[in-house]
Amino acid sequence: MRVPVSWLRDFVDVPVDARALAETLAMRGFETASVDDRPAPPAPPWGPGAAGAGDAVIDFEITANRPDCFSILGLAREVATTWRLPLRTPGAAPGLERQPLGVGESDVVGVTIEDPDLCPRYAAAVADVTIGPSPAWLAARLEAAGVRPISNIVDITNYVLMEIGHPTHAFDLDRLGGHALRIRRAKPGETITTLDGVQRTLEPEMLVIADAARAQAVAGVMGGAVSEVSSSSRRVVFESAYFTPTSVRRTSKRLGLMTEASARFERGSDIAAPLVALERIAALLERLGAGRVVGPVVDRYPAPRGPVTIHLRRERLASLLGVRVDDEDVVRIFRGLGLDIVPAADGWSVTVPTFRVDLVREADLIEEVGRHYGYDRLPPIFPAPASPPAAPDPRVARDGQVRRVLLAAGLSEAFTYSFIEQRAHEAFGLADEAEVVAIANPLSGKFEVMRRSLLPGLTDALAHNRHHQRRDVRLFEVGACFSASAGEVRKAGIAWTGAASDDHWSGTRREVDFFDVKGLVERLGEVLGVPLAVEPAAAPMLVPARAARIVVANPPFAWPALGLLGQLLPAVAEARGLPAADAVYVAEIDLDGVWAVRQALDRAAGTTAEAVAPLPRFPSVVRDVSVLVAAGLPASEVRGTILANRPGGLVDVAFFDRYQGKGIPEDRVSLSLRLTFRAPDRTLTDAEVQRAMDEIVALLAREHGAVQR
Amino acid sequence: MLDADAIERLRAEFLALLNGATTDRDLQGVRDRYLARKGGVIAGLMKEVATAAPADRPRLGQLANRLKTEIEEQLAGRRDALAAGRPVAGAVDVTLPGRVPPLGRRHPLTRVRDRMETIFTRLGFTIVEGPEAEDEFHCFDALNMPASHPARDMQDTLYLASGMRGEAWTPTGPRTHEAQAADIRTLLRTHTSSMQVRYMQTHEPPVRIVVPGRVYRRDNPDLTHSPMFHQMEGLLVGEGISLANLKGTLLAFAREMFAPSSRLRFRPSFFPYTEPSAEVDISCWACDGAGCQQCKGTGWLEILGCGMVHPAVFEAVGYDPEKYTGFAWGMGIERVAILRHGVDDIRLFFENDLRFLEQFPV
Repeated sequence: MRVPVSWLRDFVDVPVDARALAETLAMRGFETASVDDRPAPPAPPWGPGAAGAGDAVIDFEITANRPDCFSILGLAREVATTWRLPLRTPGAAPGLERQPLGVGESDVVGVTIEDPDLCPRYAAAVADVTIGPSPAWLAARLEAAGVRPISNIVDITNYVLMEIGHPTHAFDLDRLGGHALRIRRAKPGETITTLDGVQRTLEPEMLVIADAARAQAVAGVMGGAVSEVSSSSRRVVFESAYFTPTSVRRTSKRLGLMTEASARFERGSDIAAPLVALERIAALLERLGAGRVVGPVVDRYPAPRGPVTIHLRRERLASLLGVRVDDEDVVRIFRGLGLDIVPAADGWSVTVPTFRVDLVREADLIEEVGRHYGYDRLPPIFPAPASPPAAPDPRVARDGQVRRVLLAAGLSEAFTYSFIEQRAHEAFGLADEAEVVAIANPLSGKFEVMRRSLLPGLTDALAHNRHHQRRDVRLFEVGACFSASAGEVRKAGIAWTGAASDDHWSGTRREVDFFDVKGLVERLGEVLGVPLAVEPAAAPMLVPARAARIVVANPPFAWPALGLLGQLLPAVAEARGLPAADAVYVAEIDLDGVWAVRQALDRAAGTTAEAVAPLPRFPSVVRDVSVLVAAGLPASEVRGTILANRPGGLVDVAFFDRYQGKGIPEDRVSLSLRLTFRAPDRTLTDAEVQRAMDEIVALLAREHGAVQR
Repeated sequence: MLDADAIERLRAEFLALLNGATTDRDLQGVRDRYLARKGGVIAGLMKEVATAAPADRPRLGQLANRLKTEIEEQLAGRRDALAAGRPVAGAVDVTLPGRVPPLGRRHPLTRVRDRMETIFTRLGFTIVEGPEAEDEFHCFDALNMPASHPARDMQDTLYLASGMRGEAWTPTGPRTHEAQAADIRTLLRTHTSSMQVRYMQTHEPPVRIVVPGRVYRRDNPDLTHSPMFHQMEGLLVGEGISLANLKGTLLAFAREMFAPSSRLRFRPSFFPYTEPSAEVDISCWACDGAGCQQCKGTGWLEILGCGMVHPAVFEAVGYDPEKYTGFAWGMGIERVAILRHGVDDIRLFFENDLRFLEQFPV
């Protein structure tokens, strides 16, 4: 809202310069976009406002709740309240004249409200006019306010719009079929060419002002070209109405047409203003010699609305603001803002005029007191806790733990977009239409679907770094993924390419491999309290035979896979901009799933106690053994067989070597196991351990055809 | 004829040879030449002293002995010097780079968030998180923004093409598939305020929570806009909670987060879900409010929006607005990170360029 300070002076004697004015009003809720100096404008006939060497235009940002301040008058009221100055209202000062108009039936124009739900009030006044240009002072004011002067009649409606904030419209009466104004919903398929020359197709929920035959204006939004006031117009009818905000808003949105009028109507105009606006128009017609109103004003207002009275309690005011405001101040503030206030039982009874559509309950009144008392005068008081803090969301600590583990492994944290292009899903084999959640109104193809996985985004981040001379990149992300069947799920994703460890002068470089990433998965399982295992599996995005799914190790109950890991298919990496020759290893874990398992495990265990075991009192014995088994036999099965049978005293099985090559038949592999034995009550003898070793070798021979080397 | 000069000459000769000895082997040669029992220069000298005139004998003997001692000392000194110059077995070059354990970098937005969480936890707030895929009720309706409300325009919303089931988890634990499937989400939350509603629906007052999380707006990415960013919401509800308490809470936060001398400025504003509402500026920590480049000369930085919870919000969640009052705020995490680190392009946060990420302290 561009406000020339000189115009403001019609209403109130502004006591400070434009910049001080802008700064002070900012602290009353009216932010300023700019303050521009300009030369003194041509003085209006009644004189004031032109004093001084120059003028300034302040561009205020008006919040959506204050349509009354989409006007010079509204802001003048704030200025008057702030500096405790008298406000000159329309009709009460030179330059603000109102010409009293009688209300009755017109013998020239017929006005019918057919849809009072969308138009609770419609007033019209007929005037004989002589079209011509506006005087310089008026044109200059409009221009300063950002409105292009057109002709005296149109300019008068715009002047009143800016001045008191009420939109009006002038129709060329002789272009209105049957001299009728019918306020009705549009007919299906009805069209209108609006003042901007665009032909628009209307919908039945849109309100129009029609003549006997067709729509002549889109109510509250824009007039029509047919009945536009032109240089040949002799008689006009001025419309001054109140339209239902939601209706204007919906129509304006549907048509993609935002105007000065629609901006005010959709936020709520003053239902008492239509007659005031017409009386101002009549006075301006006279002042400009542009014409005169003939006959009475037709005022259709089937269900008049009065001002609302709200009870304001003194105690509530003090307790919500946290400070006791003097009664005197309270009364002063409300009177200054144009509200009536009288004492009531435990406070006041405040009557809100119809222009303050934002004041509907006690809290709204308290804000008005706070605003003009000054938020800066409220003391800062830290609130004492009334109770111990509630339990935290366990995800916060869980995700923090995941981050710490991965950071300590040298992975940096990435934040990738939650929406991606569907093509990325396709590359990763995640494009299943039944699962992908698309965005209905995406701004671009890059952000068209919600990610099902963190891996496409992380792979893109690897590619970005790869394109900026970083060959060794390890990233992770903790974030939400979305799919139709699983809903919103928190996951941790890992993507790693290049060196397995930082380059160092002392060592040779090793490239990342499957077991680096698997190790991270295992470590995560450890810190999250769920033993995780991986088993061979296929995934469309992963290199066959270097792909695995993450499962719960030895689950006491059935549970679906919790994620996957492996080497990204070179074709997938290439599709996302990475060199196909670079090995990329990825992993993804469903953190919510892991957490649910953790809770189920805790329940199954019957306790979450973390009791410490007594330290062993007798030494353990370690024995190594190497066996030849089939090359395709998973090592976990060998271990599983031993643990399932667990001969006397065995406490641990570890692998310390896996060898294929010289001296080993092609279809075989040599596995070296380190077995630890211990008894709780004595030192095991060599003979005992040897018996156990023999048992194990025999067991492996029987179960897996293993041969001891 | 032996005299003092001859002895002095021997001394000079020795010193010249010693100087030329740069290896252990050279040194042994010099030693053998002078100190060998048989045929050594000193041994010969001693014999000569013994045959000198009796009158000269004591003085020459003294000189010869002094020379012998000096030679022994010099040889020992040189031997030690050569030994010191030899590399010690197992020596390391301590100036070579150490083997630094790997350590990734926290994302700058996580750093800011962690810091805020720490402060608010100390101030007695509980951290909770909420779903990013939301429904109209929690994101708008319950926050006093019915479908027709003009404030909905303030937040251009990204909608989901088809309804999606809710999250697998809530702050109180995992949900059943049935509960999840019955809870349909249709949009991406435009603010973390939606979690205010969810929390109040499931918890009785008093409430003291902060809700960090990801939010979405229908904006094209540019220097200052992102279709995805992060907020931290705060909510405190109790009996007798006032706007002065809101000031006290935010001031305590600001003084720890930014600078001990921080001051706050509350400007009246409008949000549908708070009444009264305010925008909060913090005194610029770079210039302490004097005006500088960071604050564009104003001395103030806009940092968050806040207000007293609107009674209509309490009504929507089933709290008695007569009994309880409270306040809420929403703060942009990117905004804080941008101000703290002088980041000039919000998109840098989502590019994940290591050259950017590695600039932040561990």
